[in-house]
Amino acid sequence: MSFEPKIIGILCNWCSYTGADLAGTARMKYPANMRSVRVMCSGRVDPGFIFDALAHGADGVLICGCHPGDCHYVEGNYKCMRRIPLTQRLLQDMGIDPRRLRLEWVSASEGGRFQKIVTEFTEEIRALGPLKLRDMKFDMNRPDRYSLMAEAGDTVHTY
Amino acid sequence: MVKVTIDGLEIEVEEETTILKAARQLGITIPALCYNELIEPYAVCRLCVVELQRGQRTRLVTACNYPLRESVVIRTNSERVQRLRRMNIELLMARAPGAKIIQDLAAEMGIERTRFPLEDSDEKCILCGLCVQACSDVVQAYALGFSERGSKRVIGPPYDTTPETCILCGACAYFCPTGHIKMTDTDGRILHSELTLGPNAAITLPFRQAIPNVPRVNPDYCIHMKTGGCELCVKVCQKEAINFTELAQDSFEEFEVGAVIMATGFQDFDPTPMKLYGYGVLPNVLTSDEFERMNNAASPTGGRIVMENGEEPRSIAILHCIGSRDEHYHKYCSRVCCMYELNFAHLVNVKTSAEVYQLYIDMRSFGKGYEEFYQRILDEGVNVIRGKGAEVVPAYQKRRGEGGLLVCCEDTLIGKYREIPVDMVVLCTALEARADAAEIGRKFNISTGADGWFIEAHPKLAPVSTTTEGIFLAGVCQGAKDIPDSVAQGAAAAAQVMKMFCQGELLMDGAYAEIVEDICSGCRICNGLCPYNAITYDIEKKVSAVNPAMCKACGTCVAACPSGAITGRHFTDEQIYAQIEGILA
Amino acid sequence: MKPYRINLMVCAGTGCVANHSFEIKKALEDEVKKRGLENEVQVVATGCNGFCAEGPLMVVQPEGIFYHQVTIKDIPHLVEEHFLKGRPVQKLMYVPPDAKAPIPKMSDISFFNRQMLIALRNRGLIDPEKIDEAIGRGAYSALAKVLTAMTPPEVVSLIKASGLRGRGGGGFPTGIKWETCRKAHGEPKYIICNADEGDPGAFMDRSIIEGDPHSVLEGMLIGAYAIGSHHGYIYIRQEYPLARERLTIAVQQAREYGLLGDNIFGTGFQFDIKVARGAGAFVCGESTALMASIEGRVGEPRAKYIHTVEHGLWNLPTCLNNVETWATVPEIILKGAEWFTSIGTGDVSKNPWGGSKGTKVFSLTGKVKNTGLVEVPMGITLREIIYDIGGGIPKGKQFKSVQTGGPSGGFLPASLLDLQVDYEQLTEAGSMMGSGGMVVMDEDNCMVDMAKYFLAFTQDESCGKCTPCREGTMRMLETLERITQGKGREEDIQLLEDLSQFVMDASLCALGGSAPNPVLTSLRYFREEYITHIRDKKCPAHVCRELNVYTIDPGLCVTKGHGCGVCRRQCPENAITGEKNVAHVVSQELCKKCGVCYDVCKFDAVKVA
Repeated sequence: MSFEPKIIGILCNWCSYTGADLAGTARMKYPANMRSVRVMCSGRVDPGFIFDALAHGADGVLICGCHPGDCHYVEGNYKCMRRIPLTQRLLQDMGIDPRRLRLEWVSASEGGRFQKIVTEFTEEIRALGPLKLRDMKFDMNRPDRYSLMAEAGDTVHTY
Repeated sequence: MVKVTIDGLEIEVEEETTILKAARQLGITIPALCYNELIEPYAVCRLCVVELQRGQRTRLVTACNYPLRESVVIRTNSERVQRLRRMNIELLMARAPGAKIIQDLAAEMGIERTRFPLEDSDEKCILCGLCVQACSDVVQAYALGFSERGSKRVIGPPYDTTPETCILCGACAYFCPTGHIKMTDTDGRILHSELTLGPNAAITLPFRQAIPNVPRVNPDYCIHMKTGGCELCVKVCQKEAINFTELAQDSFEEFEVGAVIMATGFQDFDPTPMKLYGYGVLPNVLTSDEFERMNNAASPTGGRIVMENGEEPRSIAILHCIGSRDEHYHKYCSRVCCMYELNFAHLVNVKTSAEVYQLYIDMRSFGKGYEEFYQRILDEGVNVIRGKGAEVVPAYQKRRGEGGLLVCCEDTLIGKYREIPVDMVVLCTALEARADAAEIGRKFNISTGADGWFIEAHPKLAPVSTTTEGIFLAGVCQGAKDIPDSVAQGAAAAAQVMKMFCQGELLMDGAYAEIVEDICSGCRICNGLCPYNAITYDIEKKVSAVNPAMCKACGTCVAACPSGAITGRHFTDEQIYAQIEGILA
Repeated sequence: MKPYRINLMVCAGTGCVANHSFEIKKALEDEVKKRGLENEVQVVATGCNGFCAEGPLMVVQPEGIFYHQVTIKDIPHLVEEHFLKGRPVQKLMYVPPDAKAPIPKMSDISFFNRQMLIALRNRGLIDPEKIDEAIGRGAYSALAKVLTAMTPPEVVSLIKASGLRGRGGGGFPTGIKWETCRKAHGEPKYIICNADEGDPGAFMDRSIIEGDPHSVLEGMLIGAYAIGSHHGYIYIRQEYPLARERLTIAVQQAREYGLLGDNIFGTGFQFDIKVARGAGAFVCGESTALMASIEGRVGEPRAKYIHTVEHGLWNLPTCLNNVETWATVPEIILKGAEWFTSIGTGDVSKNPWGGSKGTKVFSLTGKVKNTGLVEVPMGITLREIIYDIGGGIPKGKQFKSVQTGGPSGGFLPASLLDLQVDYEQLTEAGSMMGSGGMVVMDEDNCMVDMAKYFLAFTQDESCGKCTPCREGTMRMLETLERITQGKGREEDIQLLEDLSQFVMDASLCALGGSAPNPVLTSLRYFREEYITHIRDKKCPAHVCRELNVYTIDPGLCVTKGHGCGVCRRQCPENAITGEKNVAHVVSQELCKKCGVCYDVCKFDAVKVA
C-alpha cells in the first residue's frame, strides 16, 4: 500500500477556513490527507501545536492565514509570519525536515488556491516519506519532550 | 491721560499717543509719507515735522512718532513748519518727479515747480523705507533692504538679484506710498486664482457657499504661517477675533461616546504621475474635481467653462478610468465616474457649443434611471468612443490641429487608432482611500483591505459593522460608491447604533482571552502584541490583565505567552491539542 | 622696577610711528648696548606727545631735554655726545619759528607750557603697553577710592558737582547722564566708550588710547560702579590699528591684574569690557547709530524720542561717553569737584548747563606754525591757542578764519579771535565745541571752497536715512559747486540759507543737524566772498580755479625769463603760444584753468586774477 501522509492544517477563521469552505462548496477536489483545525487567527498558532501534531504522528503541518495586510485582527498574521520560520529552524535543529511545516496565505475567496496548496503540500510530504518518530506519547509536561523528538527525527543533515 | 493743544484745539489723549494720532482725532491733517499705522514709525520723510512748545521752549519734532507725555502746545501749520514742509516737498519733487502723491501735495501747497534739477522723470521712489520695513518687520522675509548710503542710497533686494527669500506676498507694493513698487509675474511664480481654481488670498471665505460662512486663514498663503511675522489682521480686526496662538496649534478635545460611525470618505487620485496625460504640464488638462469646481456657479469663473486664456473651448475630451481599472494604480472600478462624466457632457452641451468626446472602457450605467440618462446623452450628440485615452499631447507635436491638445486612443468598436484634437481634457480620476486610512484604522482597531478601504465585518451579513464592537462604516471609506448608496449605508450605520443603544446592554462574544494571575510572570510580552490595547499591566500586582470588552479573541497573546498564563476561551490549548490528537489518533 | 640714570621717551604715537619712530627706538637700543650703557639708559616707547608736526620726537628724562625730527643717522652721534659725554645735541633741539636759539627743555617750549594736562596727564611719560608704569603714575587709585570709600550715588553727585560735560561734541552734563541711567529700569545696563573718532584731522581720542589706555578703562570702571553696570563696550574704529592693539593689551593686562572681571579689588564689584570694531562710517559716531552697529545692524541713527540712557544698546539702559570724558573722570575723583570747577568758565553749581569746566583737547591744524594736539583750560581765547601755543600764521600771512568742532563746525572770523572757548560761546557764534577740531585758515583760503570742502565730507558720510540730510546736503553741495564754478545765481544765497535751515531743523540726527554750520557761518561772516563769486565770477583767494584768469606778464616773461617756454611745454591744452625771447600768451578760449603754468613759472610772470 502506498504511503498516505497525515497532515494537520491549522486554518484561520476569517480567510483560510472560509476559503477551505468555499473550495468545499465549489466541489473542488483536494487530497483527504489534510485535516483541519480552526483557530481564530494565524497569530494564535502556538509552535507547541506543531510539535504536538508531529509528535502524535502527523507527517506535515500546514498553517494558513489571511494575506498580509488583510488580517481581520489587524496584524495577527504578521506575528505568525515571524514565528513559523523560527519554528522551521527549530525543527531543523531537531533533525526534522523543515519542509514538513508550511505557511501559506489564503483568502476567503481563494478556494482554488486552497485546493492547489493542499494538493502540492500533500505531494511534497508524500515525496519526503513518513516522519519516523519513535513511538512515544508526547507529554507536554516532560522537560525532555523536545529532545526525545530530536532523537527520533528524520536523518536530515543539519548545517 | 494728557491734555494737549493742537492748533488751538484742546484734546485729551492717552499717554504715549503720538501727535499724529491725536491730530487725526481732531481732524487735523499732517502730511506724512513714510507713516503707516500698521508699521512702527520710521520717521525719515520728516514731512510731519511740527512745532512743539513746552513752557517757553519751542522745538521741532516729528508728529508720527513723538509720544505725548505731558501738556504741550503743538502747531502743525506755523510759518516755520510750512517753510520746512515746502522745502521738503521741493526736494522730493526733484528726487521723485513721477510720484503723483508728491505732485498732489505740491499743488496743495501752491508749489508749481521745484528749484532743483530733476532726477529721472519716471522715478517714484522717495526712499521712505516703508517697503523695507514691511518686508523685514512685518513679513520677516528680509528680501528688501537699503544699499549704498547718502544720496546714492537705493532700495532693492540683496545684490540686486531675485531674492530667494521673497515669498511674493506683495506687502512692499501694498505699503509703497508712491506706487513705485509694482507686482509683475516675470518668472511665473505667482499663482493665479483663475488657474488654480482656488482663492489665493490668505484670508478668504473658502468658497461662496461655505458652511460656516466665516473667513478662514489659509496657511498656504498666510505670511504669518510662513515667516512668523505680519499679524496685521490681528491689528486690524476690531473684534479681536483672530488669535494666532490658537490658530497655530491644533487643539485637542476629548469626547466620551458609545459608538463611532466612520465616514472619512475618499481622496482624489492624483494623475500627476501618469505622465502620458500631461496633467500639471499641459495647459487645459483638468481633473474632474477641478472641472466640477469650474462648473459651480460660485466658482472663480462663475460657472462658465473657459480655458486658461479665458476663451470658451471648442472641443472637450472626457477621459474615463484615470487610475481606476488600471493594473498599475487601482484595479477596482470607482463606480461613480461613468455617471458624473455623462453629466459633464450634458453640462458642456447646455453651456457651450463645444464638441464633447467621451473615451470609456465600459459604460457602467447600472442604477435606476442611469441607463436612460446615457441614452439621452447619446441623443444629445456626444461622441462616445469605446477605448481608453492613451495619451494627451500638445497638438503641434503630432500635427497642427484645430485644438491645442491631441488625445490619442484606440477606438475598439471600429478597430482604429485615433487622434482627436481638442481644446480641453478632463481626467476622471479614481476614488481612492485616504492616505491616512491605515493610520486611522489602527486608531480605531479596524482593518483596511489591500485597496486601503476599511473592511466591514462581513461583506454580506454585516456590511456596516466592523470587527470592533461599536464602530460602524458609512460611505466611500468602506469602498467606492455613489451618493444614494452612501446615504443608504449611512442610514444603516445609524440604525445599527440605535439598535445598540436601545438594547441598553452590550452583548459580547464569549470568546476572549483570560490571564491567570498566579501564572503570569509580568513579562509584558503580551502588552505590546495586542492589536486592540486590551491588555494592561497592573503595576501593583505586577501582572497583566485582559479587558474582555476590548478583546477580540485573536489569540496572538495566548500563543506568545511564555508562561502559558493566557487562556483563549473557546480556543484553549487543551481544546486544540485535543483536536490535533483526536485527528491523529 | 629697576632705576635707570637716563630714560629715553621715544614718541610712538601714530604720527611718529609713521616717521619711523619704532626703527629709531630699535637703533637707540642697539647703540646703547654697543656703548655698554644698557644698565644706565632705558628706551621707552610712549604715547603721542601731541606735537606731531615735529616728529619723530624724543624726550630725555629726567632732564626734560626735547629732541625733534630725529633720524637714524643722528643716533650714534646723539648717544655719544649726550649720554656718554653729557653734552645735549643742539642741532636736534626745537627752534621756535622766528627765533634763532634752540630751546633745550620741553617745559620751556610755549607749545607745551601753555597747556594744562588732565585727560592727557600721562602723555609721553609712560609706556602704554605696561600697566605697571600707568599704576606707577597713579592709575586705578581713583577706582580704589571709589570702590572702597564711596557709594555709587556719591560718585554720581561728585561728577555732577564737577560740571563735567561730554567731550564728544554734545556737551551733555555727564553727571546727569549717569544719574538718569542709574535710575533707568532694565538690566543689565551697559557702559559704552565712543572711540569712533571720525572727524578728519581730529585725533585726541586716538592719542589718549595710544598713550594712556588705562585712564579710559579706569574712567569706565568708575562709571560702571556709579551706574550699576557690569558690561562695557569700547567702540573703536578699524582705522586705528595701533590704538586698537594697545587697548586690547591694556584690557588684557587689567584682567590679569584683577582690575577687570569678577570681584574687582575684592569688593565683589564685577565689570568687563569688550572691544567692538567700527567700520569707519562717520555717522557711527552718533550714539544710536553706534549702538546699532554694536548690535550688528546697519549703523544708522534711529528716530525715537526715547533717550539711550533708558533704551539704548539692546534696548537696555546705556551710558555712552567719549574717550576724553572717560579719561577725565579719574582725575576728578582724585582731586575733587572743587578743583575741577576752579578751571573754566561759568557757574555750574546751580545749573549743569551753566558753564564749561575743566580742560578740552584740541587738534590744532591748518595754517598755523605749531600743529598738533593741545589740551587747554576752558575759557582760553582762540587767540591764545592760535598765537601763543600755535605760534601764529606761517609765512607772515593774514589770519582769516578758524573752524572749530570738526567738519560740522562753523567758521569764526578774526573779529572773534578773543572769543572764550567754551560750549555756549562757540554755539552762540555759530560754531560748536564738537570733538575739538581746530582748523586755522589764512588769506589764501577761499571760504566758499572751504564750506564746499566740509559739506562734501558730511554729504558723503550722510547715511541717507532721512530726507533733509540725504537730499538737502546733496542740493547744498550742488549749489556750492555751481558757485565755485562761476555758474552761481543771485538767488543761490537765499537757497543755501533756506536749505541750511531746513537740514538743521528737520534732520533726524546731529549729523544733519550740524552739517550746514560751515555754510551758515561762512554766509554769516564772509558773505561778500559769496557775492564776489556769484556777481563778479571771481575768487578773491584764487582757489576756485574755474574762476581764475591766467595771463602772462610780457615784460617779466621776456626780461627775466627770456621766454623760457616751460609753461608752453607743460600746458596740457596747448593754450600757450610763444618762442624764445618772445613774450608768451595764454589763449583764454583754450585755457582749462588747471594752473600748471602758474606753478611752473620760476619768474612769477604768470599772473592770476
